Amino acid sequence: MSQLKITELTKKYYNKIALRNVTLNFEQGKIYGLLGPNGSGKTTLMKVVAGLHKQTSGNVFINDEELSYKTKAYVSYMPTENYLYGSFKVVDILKFYKDMYEDFRYDYAVSLLNEIKVNMGNKVSNLSSGEIGKLKTVIALSRDAEIYMLDEPLNGVDVLSRDTIMDIITKSHSENKIIVISTHLVSEIEKILDTVIFLNEGTVEIFGDAEELRQERQLSVEGIYKEVFRNA
Amino acid sequence: MDFNNNIPIYLQVIERIKQDIVSGKLKPGDKMPSSREYSNELGINFNTVARVYKELEMEEIVFTKRGLGTFITESDKQIESLRYTMAKNQITTFIEGMKQLGYTKEDMIRFIEKENNHTERNE
Amino acid sequence: MLNLIKYEFIRKYRLVFMILITILALNLFLLTRGVGGSMLFLVLSPIVLYVFYLADIIRMYSDDLNKKTGYMLFMTPNSGYKIISSKLLTAILEGFGLLLIYFLFIIVNSIYIIISIGEVVDFRRILSSINNILSGSLGYSFNLIYLFITLFSILVFIIAFITTAYTAMTIRKSLFSEIKFGGLISFIIFLLINWITTYVSSWLYGLLSNISPYYESMDIILSTGRFNQETLIMILLPMISVAIIQTITLTGFSGYLLEKKINL
Repeated sequence: MSQLKITELTKKYYNKIALRNVTLNFEQGKIYGLLGPNGSGKTTLMKVVAGLHKQTSGNVFINDEELSYKTKAYVSYMPTENYLYGSFKVVDILKFYKDMYEDFRYDYAVSLLNEIKVNMGNKVSNLSSGEIGKLKTVIALSRDAEIYMLDEPLNGVDVLSRDTIMDIITKSHSENKIIVISTHLVSEIEKILDTVIFLNEGTVEIFGDAEELRQERQLSVEGIYKEVFRNA
Repeated sequence: MDFNNNIPIYLQVIERIKQDIVSGKLKPGDKMPSSREYSNELGINFNTVARVYKELEMEEIVFTKRGLGTFITESDKQIESLRYTMAKNQITTFIEGMKQLGYTKEDMIRFIEKENNHTERNE
Repeated sequence: MLNLIKYEFIRKYRLVFMILITILALNLFLLTRGVGGSMLFLVLSPIVLYVFYLADIIRMYSDDLNKKTGYMLFMTPNSGYKIISSKLLTAILEGFGLLLIYFLFIIVNSIYIIISIGEVVDFRRILSSINNILSGSLGYSFNLIYLFITLFSILVFIIAFITTAYTAMTIRKSLFSEIKFGGLISFIIFLLINWITTYVSSWLYGLLSNISPYYESMDIILSTGRFNQETLIMILLPMISVAIIQTITLTGFSGYLLEKKINL
């Protein structure tokens, strides 16, 4: 049973507020789209849940446990940057994950990488940005975690790789997982989202079912996004 | 399948399944793919497909056998009424459009006959 | 913990390997200058190794705190205490490793020197040659206990120094994260902690000089350069204690900050 509860989360830096009183409840089995322009707090929110940033106030509960190094075992976070050791071969990265995470499905990762033709013997520093994007997604989703936080998985990735990444995401999704995807490329990803969260300057603007929003407003999620953020 | 993001995706999938049933592409009693398979095929979320099946089941166009999967209805009556509804929607849209263009009922009938003969000759 | 240390070494083995090749090349080059070259190598190489060692140890932590690759480590479900401790253990092991390698170079160069001056190579001759070299670089007559005391205290001081640097960096990424001039602030913190430990040490020595004759005339003993093992231990002991307490406190503090306050 996966559960992620965020209550009145605030994150302040010395001269700005990244998140203001964010309260969100995530249910298992759903794919969430965390949408907002750059600097709206998407990455900060993900980093707090992943335990890489500490909140200023408010609480995050994962399966009723407060955030700590232990909850890192339930969260698979994919940073938007290339965070992989450049001197490692792809296979070494997989071994690292296998050694560090009990839930890492090595064989699943290998089969996905074979499918999308990423060579296991290549050094990370020699991969193209499309390959890095795919590799990062495969690694994050090869953990049998409960909560996945994918930060801008399509950023800096070519069109064909984007399709592959979306396929890997939908293929890896299941009824007992929560997947949160942040993006500002709304149109490309909206068809796989169940629920969308619009984040504007650290505040939740809209939280709702994607299909219901389309029906209510007779607009795509992207259309709504443009309306909401046109003045932002 | 390409989706129009302005319309709920589940409605578009429902529409496509209905068309496939009426056109005979999907036959009465056919087994539908599981929501996971179908979602992978369409590149969408499996919850969307689950919603599609739920809606279609409420409309009695598909039925679920526990543990076996989802099947197209075996009732000819259901399929016939589906065909009727879809045809009715088409004709309503058509009539409304033609009226806006200034066609009378007689004009429309003549137009239909002429175009229909034309298409038949070409086939 | 073992896993964390294992990957620290996997990540740095190429670099360590490269520095060893460099040292080896330096040795071979200087050997072409004869015995004098060999002696020069034995004085130069520990300096090179030491500078490399400190730079590498600092880099090992600062990269993880400041570069994106640090996520690899900090996303793993390991507590902050475990992470900082594994860094320190890696530093200690690496220090021992480099020391061992330096000893190998000493042995090889001793043998070379013995052969060069036309004497017979045997175990006792090698030992006495090493003795000569070490008494030259350490400043007093060689014996195993001195060597042990010296190496041990150097190790303790280096670890305390590294812990201090690590703590300053951790404070930078937690209490002072996202602040302008954070780097400068953390350097000031680093100096401050060093000042505090020096202050505590000298206060301790002042206190001890009132109760123990060893410390009363410590300066005089040290300036003569003639002292026995017991005196050396007694003189170093307070400083070592301060360094150990400093290391433990700061490691705990850094672990706490990594666990509760970090902003990567």
